[in-house]
Amino acid sequence: MALTPVLHLDGVSFSYGAVPALENLSFSIAPGERVALLGRNGAGKSTVVRLVAGLERPDQGTVWVGDWDARDCAPEQLARRVGSMFQHADQQLFASTVRADVSFGPRALGLGEREVERRTDDALEDLDLTPHAAHHPYDLPPAFRQLAALAGALALEPALLVLDEPTIGLDRALRARVTRALLERSAAGVALLVITHDLTFAAETLERGLVLDRGRLARDEQLAGLVGDATRLDPLGLVPPPIAALSAALDLPGRPVRAAEVARELARVARGRPVP
Amino acid sequence: MRSLTLDHASFWYPATASPALRDVSLEVVQGEVVALVGALGAGASTLLLVAADLAPRVIGGRLTGTVARRDRSGIVLPTPWTQASGMAFTVWDEVAFGPANLGWPAHEIARQVDRALERLELVPLASRDPVTLSGGELQRVIIAAILAMDPGLVLFDEPAAELDAEGARTLWRLIRLLASEGKAVLLATSALDAIPDVADRVVWLEDGAVRAVGTPDLLADVAACDAGLGTSVATVWRASGLPPPYPLTVAHAVQRWR
Repeated sequence: MALTPVLHLDGVSFSYGAVPALENLSFSIAPGERVALLGRNGAGKSTVVRLVAGLERPDQGTVWVGDWDARDCAPEQLARRVGSMFQHADQQLFASTVRADVSFGPRALGLGEREVERRTDDALEDLDLTPHAAHHPYDLPPAFRQLAALAGALALEPALLVLDEPTIGLDRALRARVTRALLERSAAGVALLVITHDLTFAAETLERGLVLDRGRLARDEQLAGLVGDATRLDPLGLVPPPIAALSAALDLPGRPVRAAEVARELARVARGRPVP
Repeated sequence: MRSLTLDHASFWYPATASPALRDVSLEVVQGEVVALVGALGAGASTLLLVAADLAPRVIGGRLTGTVARRDRSGIVLPTPWTQASGMAFTVWDEVAFGPANLGWPAHEIARQVDRALERLELVPLASRDPVTLSGGELQRVIIAAILAMDPGLVLFDEPAAELDAEGARTLWRLIRLLASEGKAVLLATSALDAIPDVADRVVWLEDGAVRAVGTPDLLADVAACDAGLGTSVATVWRASGLPPPYPLTVAHAVQRWR
């Protein structure tokens, strides 16, 4: 039996006044699926986030969040199923400490104080933010504020996380932390829809790629086959990340695109070669 | 000629006990692109604020040592949307806001704005209202607005953060072009893989202090890889257990592999 999708866009079109953003967009995401939403600046990616969070209503078509039509739901109701991190998320904070900000969402869901605390602790811990919990968000660099916004989305423990550029400005260690946190949530059944220009991060963290091109769905396939293929990426304004480019340039067996797999194949192939 | 000189500069943010910059000495000369790398919190953004004369003059705090600037500077912040004037209803007017405030004659404002829009490939968006732009489009508008003021020292904090691959490529090329025109460029970026094509020198900051200075080859060092500051290719090479020296880029790796 097919699982009910956590998100289903059915023929969605949307314009900002006279400026069209999305045209007849349809796709579904199953529980636990890890999906990248890719494409050029202005392709319509952030508009998808705003529609799924209920901040905009489609001109045509329907956004289904589970069995809810997003048109009938206020954003605070949708937040029971969707945790969102918006573009410029470092400005989505308003409380006077990181902890208070992260706990706002679960508290607004009406949960008991002990459950609010547990969710807040887990989300802070997952992103290594515990040492900053008592800081004022605006005493921290923008990248930490953005992580705090991500922690706020995690703390909702929703069925679907919709994240707009969660790795901007993060160093490699923190990007790896975000990857680990998202993989853990996904293994527990949470679906991920992640907008990113960082194809290295996408290849490490996500499995399926949706590519928007001028508001239309141009590709829907596994990232592993897509991110190393410069010829197919180029018309979509995308470039293979260095690891995938390396794998293709050296013609490594199986053309892996994740760092650990590429390192393993490099070592294996090098062992089998004669010493120069 | 030197555009920016920091001599034993240390900086404390307001009401903090430990310095965000520690005894940093650094020169950036005209025609040069210098990249600052480091873990988050290592001091790169702070160094740019000090170089731009925003710290401590605007944000407070305390500076010791000396900072000498020969040229007027322009800075692109990591939150470019906070740099929009909010007073312009077209992209053209937004980019003209800075030059107009410098009191330039109208024809000079128009010349600089047109050139900046062209360089950031924004001409088709010139009459759009900035509030209707995507994040990456707005980032390019802010970069254009800074360049339209014709700063001799250009400071960039994560300038490619919101750009797509084409936009990033255009920006890196533009930064080389600015250097070839004699501007001094100081850049903080977590896009380590772009650095070999963009920067002449790399300054590695750790805990507010300069840990190492070198050519972009620094990003293939064992120590840099272990600190999370190697290029993707160098880092994966190290992870494979193959011996150093590690290749910096895919092209280097292909040579090494043959």
